[in-house]
Amino acid sequence: MRIPNSPDISGTLIRVQGLLKLFFLLLLPVFAVIIPSSSLFAQKDIRVSGRIVSETGLPVAKASVTIKGLSTGVTSNDNGDYEITAPSNGTLIFSYVGFTSAQIQIDNRTSIDVSLSSTPNSLSQVIVVGYGSLKRSDVTGAIASVGESTLKEVPTANFVTELKGRLAGVDIVSNNSNPGATGQIRIRGNRSLSPEAVPYNAALSAASNDQLNAPLIVLDGIPYGGSINDINPDDIASLDILKDASATAIYGSRGSGGVILVTTKRGNKSGKSVTSYNGYYGISNVTGEYKVFNGPEYAALKTEAAAGNTINPGMSAYGLTTAEQAGLANGVSTDWQKQIYQQGQVTNQNLSISGGNDRTQYSFGGSFYKEIGVIPGQDFTRYALRVTLDHQINSHLMVGINMMNSLAFTNNGGNPVGGLIRMSPLVSPYNADGTINSLPEAGAIDGATVNPLSIKYNSAAILNNDRRLRTFNSLYGQWNIIAGLKYRLNVGLDYSQDQAGTYMGPNTFYNSSTSLASASESVSNSEAYTYTIENVLTYDKTFAEKNRISFTGLFSVQKDHNQGSGIFGTGIPADYIQNYNLSLAGSVNASTVNTNPWTFAERGLISYMARLNYAYDNRFLFTATVRTDGSSVLSPGNQYFTYPAFAVGWNIANEKFMNNINTVSTLKLRGGWGITSNQGISPYATLGALSTNAYNFGPGTAGQNIGYLVTSLANKNLKWQSTAETDIGLDFGILKNRLTGTFDIYFQNTDNILLQESLPASNGAGSTIVNAGKTKGHGFEISLSSINIQSASGFTWSTDVNFSEDRDEIVQLQNPTLKQDIGNGWFVGQPITVIYDVKKIGIWQQKDQAAAASFGQFPGQIRVQDQNGDGKINASDAVILGNYQPKWIGGMTNRVYYKNFDFSIVMYARMGQMVDVPYLTTDGSAQGFDFFNNSRNNQIKTNYWTTSNPTNGFPRPDASADKFVYSSTLGYQDGSFVKVRSINLGYSLPSKMLNKAGISSLRVYITALNPFMIYAPLVKDGLGLDPEGNGYGGAVASTATAVATAPGRQITVNLNTPPTRQFNIGVNLKF
Amino acid sequence: MRLNIHKFLKLANRKRNNTNKISFIIAVAFFLTVTGCQKLLVESPKSQITPAFFSTPGGILGGIAGIYSDMRNLWGTEGFTNITTAGTDEVLAGGSASGVYWWTYTNIVASDNATTALWNIAYQDINTANGVLQFGATANLPDSTKAQYLAQAKFLRAFYYFYLVQTFGDVPLHTTFITDATTSDSRQPIKDIYAQIITDLTEASKELPAKPTAPFLGKPATQAAALYFLAKVYLTRGWSSADSTGDFAQAAAITSNLISNASAYGLGLWPDFASANAPGNEYGLETIFVIDREADLKYGERTTGSRASGPKENGTNFFFRPNYPTITANYPAAGGAAIMTRDIPNGRPFIRIRPNTPYVLNQAFTDLVNDTRYAKTFQTVWIANTPAVTTPRGSLTVGVDTGLWAAPVEVSAARVSSFKGIIFTPNGTNGANTYTTVMYPSMKKYDDPNRADVNDASTRPFIFARFADVYLIAAEAYFKMGDNTSAAAMLNVVRQRAAFGTTNPGGNAAAVIAQTITPAQVTLDFILDERSRELFGECQRWWDLVRTQSLNERLMQWNPTEAYTHYATSSPANAYSLRPIPQTQINLVTSGPVFPQNPGY
Repeated sequence: MRIPNSPDISGTLIRVQGLLKLFFLLLLPVFAVIIPSSSLFAQKDIRVSGRIVSETGLPVAKASVTIKGLSTGVTSNDNGDYEITAPSNGTLIFSYVGFTSAQIQIDNRTSIDVSLSSTPNSLSQVIVVGYGSLKRSDVTGAIASVGESTLKEVPTANFVTELKGRLAGVDIVSNNSNPGATGQIRIRGNRSLSPEAVPYNAALSAASNDQLNAPLIVLDGIPYGGSINDINPDDIASLDILKDASATAIYGSRGSGGVILVTTKRGNKSGKSVTSYNGYYGISNVTGEYKVFNGPEYAALKTEAAAGNTINPGMSAYGLTTAEQAGLANGVSTDWQKQIYQQGQVTNQNLSISGGNDRTQYSFGGSFYKEIGVIPGQDFTRYALRVTLDHQINSHLMVGINMMNSLAFTNNGGNPVGGLIRMSPLVSPYNADGTINSLPEAGAIDGATVNPLSIKYNSAAILNNDRRLRTFNSLYGQWNIIAGLKYRLNVGLDYSQDQAGTYMGPNTFYNSSTSLASASESVSNSEAYTYTIENVLTYDKTFAEKNRISFTGLFSVQKDHNQGSGIFGTGIPADYIQNYNLSLAGSVNASTVNTNPWTFAERGLISYMARLNYAYDNRFLFTATVRTDGSSVLSPGNQYFTYPAFAVGWNIANEKFMNNINTVSTLKLRGGWGITSNQGISPYATLGALSTNAYNFGPGTAGQNIGYLVTSLANKNLKWQSTAETDIGLDFGILKNRLTGTFDIYFQNTDNILLQESLPASNGAGSTIVNAGKTKGHGFEISLSSINIQSASGFTWSTDVNFSEDRDEIVQLQNPTLKQDIGNGWFVGQPITVIYDVKKIGIWQQKDQAAAASFGQFPGQIRVQDQNGDGKINASDAVILGNYQPKWIGGMTNRVYYKNFDFSIVMYARMGQMVDVPYLTTDGSAQGFDFFNNSRNNQIKTNYWTTSNPTNGFPRPDASADKFVYSSTLGYQDGSFVKVRSINLGYSLPSKMLNKAGISSLRVYITALNPFMIYAPLVKDGLGLDPEGNGYGGAVASTATAVATAPGRQITVNLNTPPTRQFNIGVNLKF
Repeated sequence: MRLNIHKFLKLANRKRNNTNKISFIIAVAFFLTVTGCQKLLVESPKSQITPAFFSTPGGILGGIAGIYSDMRNLWGTEGFTNITTAGTDEVLAGGSASGVYWWTYTNIVASDNATTALWNIAYQDINTANGVLQFGATANLPDSTKAQYLAQAKFLRAFYYFYLVQTFGDVPLHTTFITDATTSDSRQPIKDIYAQIITDLTEASKELPAKPTAPFLGKPATQAAALYFLAKVYLTRGWSSADSTGDFAQAAAITSNLISNASAYGLGLWPDFASANAPGNEYGLETIFVIDREADLKYGERTTGSRASGPKENGTNFFFRPNYPTITANYPAAGGAAIMTRDIPNGRPFIRIRPNTPYVLNQAFTDLVNDTRYAKTFQTVWIANTPAVTTPRGSLTVGVDTGLWAAPVEVSAARVSSFKGIIFTPNGTNGANTYTTVMYPSMKKYDDPNRADVNDASTRPFIFARFADVYLIAAEAYFKMGDNTSAAAMLNVVRQRAAFGTTNPGGNAAAVIAQTITPAQVTLDFILDERSRELFGECQRWWDLVRTQSLNERLMQWNPTEAYTHYATSSPANAYSLRPIPQTQINLVTSGPVFPQNPGY
């Protein structure tokens, strides 16, 4: 493309060079000295004019512009333009409810444009509603919006974690704690039953694990799949979250999980270019260590486990080794976690330039984000480049493009935490002469365990990385055909490619083999592309002054393609080769028994949509939407489904009878109904697939065969599931909008749920996918924003509060007569994910020895309730003990501004839910904590039963038990928490100090991220570090019922990278 | 494309009437979107095998291979080894035993992984076998190939039903390929199950080749394997409540046929008992059937490295090992260096299973002179492999001195005091140490010296059926028929072979005579003891005791503390001679009658 030789752009380029120089100069002494320049100008009154816009570049009408210290003021017009007469060295205060007010010194300028940052739930914002935008006052659906400044209050690698606890009805829980972790998002709870996505394609189902309930993300109008980490949060201007079905129905088959509309920053028409630099640097540390037994306590555990041996009393295979005995005598008590956890670092640098004139607007920028984790070997780095261009060709035609490119490197290292917990505290990491004790547990049953410090000293032998390239491009052409009638073509092109690799060499904590012949290495690649083509026709017209209509029509197609490949090797000549040359490997395979990276999946979607908005006299609002989607993943004949939605709104505040009620500035009642669905079913599910394995008939290659088994049955009649939702909401603003808020109440009914049904094994195949079942949900949400204090001296204190609760319930299972499906863990009338198990009522005490014996148990073992009193414990004694659904979630943000200081504190609460903590349980197999309470290895410190400590907490250690009955009951813990997400303190340097340097604003700030928890029983009890969870699965099945106590979808608290507390120092700079 | 945009812009700029513009734009839009629309909703998978493949010749062969491969999820795994071995007279729980309730019969849970795995895998494989039979019948294959494929499927279906019926009693019976999901099922009487097994095996025994034939190489199902199982099925049914007249005679006749035609099947007994389980002999003379494994990571379906953890790996080389690396020089006092280091020849100590010493040494293996099988079944000495180890009695030379000795008999005081290493004996008299739950003779039939890493699982095929068992089946059948003479003759073949060896100074002839028994000596207990001597640890014992209805008596006599105490409390009596129906099966039958649990659970 030829760049037009416009003086505007070349001028910008020259200025950019100068600014870059300045930028680098500033990096060195940024907090040092910027000499304040005293005003040389005499005071005189001048005319100042300009435009007030929001951070999305849209005009802010009716904003107030006042002169500091004076009572005079004006308001901006509908285009955001203002004009005021003010002293040439005075200060202008720009304010509007819902936006953070700004103070700007005039400094003899006659033109001052200002961009105001919005606070959530502003009633006058123009918000994006999907295939268009509306003023909030015209909106009929339940839509929450978040601006850039709100996101920045919790600076992290991606916007999902930044949103945690910020919006009513948007529940985000961490599912990982490694650098670059994202989170699980639920908007208004769960609707689908399936524990996991459809399993036909293992690689895909891992990625789309919670796709059935997760929201759709739309970036600048184009559906966005894949990693959220590819979006640089600094590029985001605003987020609009469509919550109810009347709003999400325009996304039909993908809307039932809610829709998050991401709007990125673009250029503006100011005629000037603005350069922004945002950067911060931070350090992070674990918030704590998992509490384990120390040396003497570990020795005591071993002694007690031998005494508690129920098969051979007094015996143990896990006595102290010679080295441990010496360690005990010498007071050795090694804290292995401390040996490994390190201080993490995070740095984020963003530079962007934007500007433009009436015809061309541009923005471009680059960013660098790097996070070094608290576990050696874990880090995340992202480089991102972005360009947007909008150009008005003539009065009829406009074109634009947004190109986002990112290159992200993730090093996962390994997860040593579970292993560190297991290490004996009675041995030292170092020998007496100071050298590394390479096999610290020598002589014990796990004597082959290599010193955990090998993670550091043998780091060349450990590799687990992923390099991801993503290029997300959207371009549009818009043709204003006649007044009010527009045609817009949106084209989205999205491509991502991952190259991942692993290497696990010998003699490390992760691979204790001693021979390079046992090294394992892999290289895998995957690519995904999506194209979207949308044709949108809109027509806006006002009839007879009071009747406004807006019509939107859409025809679109979308195709997704995913493909993956990989190679695995065993044995390598030297560690440094890692996975760079698998031709040197001892053997090479295209898959392993655990992983098959070879995948291929495509899906297509064809959609038609029409929407009509009608507003009468700014009082009555009506929206009707209908969308038809056809998807390739469903059975022929069932591929199309139509989604209708209707909504009405009544701006009560605009009624004549409200004219005299001055306290009420805004009052709107909304109601809507709609149908949506989700696409959470993998391609080819209707075709079925055979499981594959391999076998050798005899030695040699002649007998080698690939094998096939029928393990799941295809369903040729799969159709869409659908969710109908009704929402009633009230938006209000009182006391000149100093207190604004939104209430919503909603009811959802989901039908024909696509679910993976487990089948009785005797019928040959373990599972199938069916359209069965119904769920319902209801909930309510409150969001309040209040300006508590706003004094003339410039002191402002505002508070945002959100509160929501959501209840889901199973209405019907596979057939109407079925009331419970224990095997799948579903119960009619109960929440979707419940804990169904026998009930622990304590520990058998010595006085109950005879009673315990009648159950085949001993004092010190877990005592459970014999619900039916038949003298034995079995599946019929299981009851529903609780569920994983929080009673309520809430968040609160307090902001204080005084003079040039700003301060904010963000809090987040999730209350009343249970969590499953698998490391407090064991099943003697793959789940839980192997050899828990058995004394073979160290473990989380528990208050266990002994004859002299007759607790009802944890059972007596038993050296004979690889698992113990009812151990699953120990994992259910109170998951409630109230935590402080972030505390920020910022200082904006006075602009008169900055003007000389050509700087328009400069703010420095410090942030504390996750500084502390206010309330968390799990942490208080010493059983975990954060009840929020950090991974999926790991839960043992109930001893009595064989039902997994936390299905695969459920986030659990595992022994993963500990949560961190982070302190940042940063700067926001604008030229 | 470029042309289109120019045209587009040009057209857009023209001051034509709006209708034309609209039609043009819509035309362009539809050009861009409609092309390919038809194909967009059609699915064409490329990376997965769809069920249609199953009806092709390659799919049918793959189905058979898939079933064999699935057996790796059972034979050789820890859970399955437990349910075949634990809770019997032969063994006791090792210091790190897993699945404790199988050892003690205490609080047995219906949700156990091992029994659930047997159930689920058996039915999954039976359904695939039914699919092979359905599609194979009409497949475009040469008749001989087709017959062989179908016979394999019949064999495999019978194989799984045999282990289901022995383990769970009445079980669902499906003989057609199930492709539609259902959530109901019911149990059929064992009589019907046995009838189906016998039909399948009888047909397979006629249709399978006499010896392994490509593509089924190694030791898969052959005519001999089918006959072996058929004999065992008749024997087992003969003992059961579903017995039919002539069951034992059938078993005897089939085994006689196998023995007399052994060479035609390429089978027989090795001269030396030790050869039968020796590494390298897995496909040898005596092996009737193996669950195959190999070093190749793909076809062997295994991993290598520290925590060999593939679900289908053969871990039998771990389970019977004592914790030899933890015995230190000053044992039993604390202190001193560990005498042994974990190495490949001595193996990875899992400490799961230990011999039940009173039974093994006082009942089964009483003759350590003429019967060489104790020495060929157990590792009792560990040669020092760690430098610079000094016990209170002297310094050990690597590769020369015996570091640890788990002697089968008591040792004299003089010997104890002069022995540089550590001695363990059954009773620990004369200053020796008593066997413990973690240090005891190590069953060595599954040793695998050819592994890359000491922690790797075994790459040896799991020897499932040996020709020696044919004689033992025959002996049991003749015994039940009242023909003790023939029974003794059969037992004597196995017993006399056991005399082979260099350890009996009087020469084999004398030992052979000593090993020969008379018909009067044949009792059920003798047969069961003989099975221990011959088949110790070969993952059959629990079913042997269940078949012969001896579990109660043998546990009472030989495993009174660990197992019998709770076994005896079951209600009804002997309820624990059937395993519980997996809880998931009961839970998931959600339509029709409730799926019943076995009594006592």
